[in-house]
Amino acid sequence: MILSVEQLSISSREKKIVDNVSLSIREGEWYAVVGQSGSGKTLLSQAIGRMLSPNLHAEGKILFNHEDLLSLSPKQMRTIRGEKLSYIFQDYQGSFTPFRTIGQHFEEYQIAHGIHHAKTRKMIAMEALDSVGLEESLYTRYPFQLSGGQLQRASIALALLLSPDLLIADEITTALDSVSGHRVLELLAKRQKETGCAILFITHDWRHVRRYATRLAVMKDGEIVESGGKHRILDHPQHEYTKQLIQAAPTINRGLPSGLEEAGSI
Amino acid sequence: MSGLSIQMPKGKKHFYQRITVLLCVTILSIVVIYAFFYLRHDPTLTNLDSRLFGMSLQHPLGTDQLGRDVLTRLLLGGQQTIGYSMLALFVALIIGVPFGLISGYKRGLLDRVFMRICDSFLAFPDTIVAIVLSGLLGPGIGNLVLAIVLVKWVNYARLVRSTVLSESQKDYVLIAHINGLSSSKIIRKHLLPHVVGHVLVLASLDLGKIILLISAFSYIGLGAQPPIPEWGSMLNESRPYFESRPELMIYPGVAIVGVVLLTNMVGDYLRDYFDVKKEVRE
Repeated sequence: MILSVEQLSISSREKKIVDNVSLSIREGEWYAVVGQSGSGKTLLSQAIGRMLSPNLHAEGKILFNHEDLLSLSPKQMRTIRGEKLSYIFQDYQGSFTPFRTIGQHFEEYQIAHGIHHAKTRKMIAMEALDSVGLEESLYTRYPFQLSGGQLQRASIALALLLSPDLLIADEITTALDSVSGHRVLELLAKRQKETGCAILFITHDWRHVRRYATRLAVMKDGEIVESGGKHRILDHPQHEYTKQLIQAAPTINRGLPSGLEEAGSI
Repeated sequence: MSGLSIQMPKGKKHFYQRITVLLCVTILSIVVIYAFFYLRHDPTLTNLDSRLFGMSLQHPLGTDQLGRDVLTRLLLGGQQTIGYSMLALFVALIIGVPFGLISGYKRGLLDRVFMRICDSFLAFPDTIVAIVLSGLLGPGIGNLVLAIVLVKWVNYARLVRSTVLSESQKDYVLIAHINGLSSSKIIRKHLLPHVVGHVLVLASLDLGKIILLISAFSYIGLGAQPPIPEWGSMLNESRPYFESRPELMIYPGVAIVGVVLLTNMVGDYLRDYFDVKKEVRE
């Protein structure tokens, strides 16, 4: 287990927003969390990196490489962030500081994690850009000079720069058109195979779940209503809410919702 | 829409505006700096034999009631007035900007405490603070600067805080944080540049107000003390001679009005310069 969240609750002063959530992610797997907006998916992901805003309080255990993240000091937390655990967000335009070049982001990131040799830094950054299919000339560009797909690919490059053990991707394709979204996900899947990192993939798009996820959890109103292997849940949903969600999602192919052919249908 | 594309305001009007502002600032700087190196007369040397002279080659703007050269006093007065105003502004910025940055970035309890401190400072109007301070510490330009700093820094703290508050909600700050960057680095490299534009605009508009304030207090005797040449106190000293020699009041008066107008023009210009939305509107 790379990450196991045990009975995590997140509450504001007035009410509990995420209630007693437990999930575990194995090395190198693609774990999807599905649910409507407002179901607490994003808060859950933010709690893992201890990124919750100060008015929210998290209780429970978040074991990451057998260390409880909630009990670490801010300094210890900083060494984990970015190096072992990294994030990609939905808003690709907001992911980069507008007045700093892509290269400066790479520079700063590496300096913060103790890579002091300037040439090495540049080399690593160039390789990373290359690995996500971006031209090296983008290194000196400003974020607004890049397209959405390019930016999101640059965020992937940045997030995977130091080969983290876990990558949290929070609705990364929502703001992209479907073609760019598809490319970004294909790329992410390819990079996952190469680096072997686990991905916590937050989405409300069943097509992505069907295509990429190994296991998934379905969230509703701050609780996980159902979790397990992809095929089990998509083909044999137990919970009423999961059934509704799956029925509401469009399927083009014949066969089972998970994409498997039904036995004897050919 | 790109997030931040600062471009020159377009159009002829802007061109003339830019030229005028640039020209005036240059002339003013030259005059003030020139005064440092070239003083034909001692600004405090009194000579009762040559009091209230008119224009002459030796005294281009004449002499005042104590026989001091008016041009020299005017130039040095400009240094005093503008210099102290800038000092007050600078100190207010030094205190206000970091205060706002930290308060807006950290939020939570710290922010609430900081903002209550700001509120308590805001409760006093600047005039009252200046009068009380000069009552407590004695009149003088130093105390006046202190009073102005005490009142003005709050504006910057609040302005910076509100900008930082909205900016730090954005993902790039979150990402910088999640990427393991230290708070001080995030504040300096990712948030401070956002603030600079707003702060510059407010500062340049404020400079005019501060110049007025210093002159006004010197006029009523709570600012610069004689024999220091200061525009406000020069106005006051030449008041009894207004009927016979009105130009003694007109010179510093025009100087004050001119400089304040200029700072306002610079402020307006900077505001247009940093206003990204304006381009969209036009």
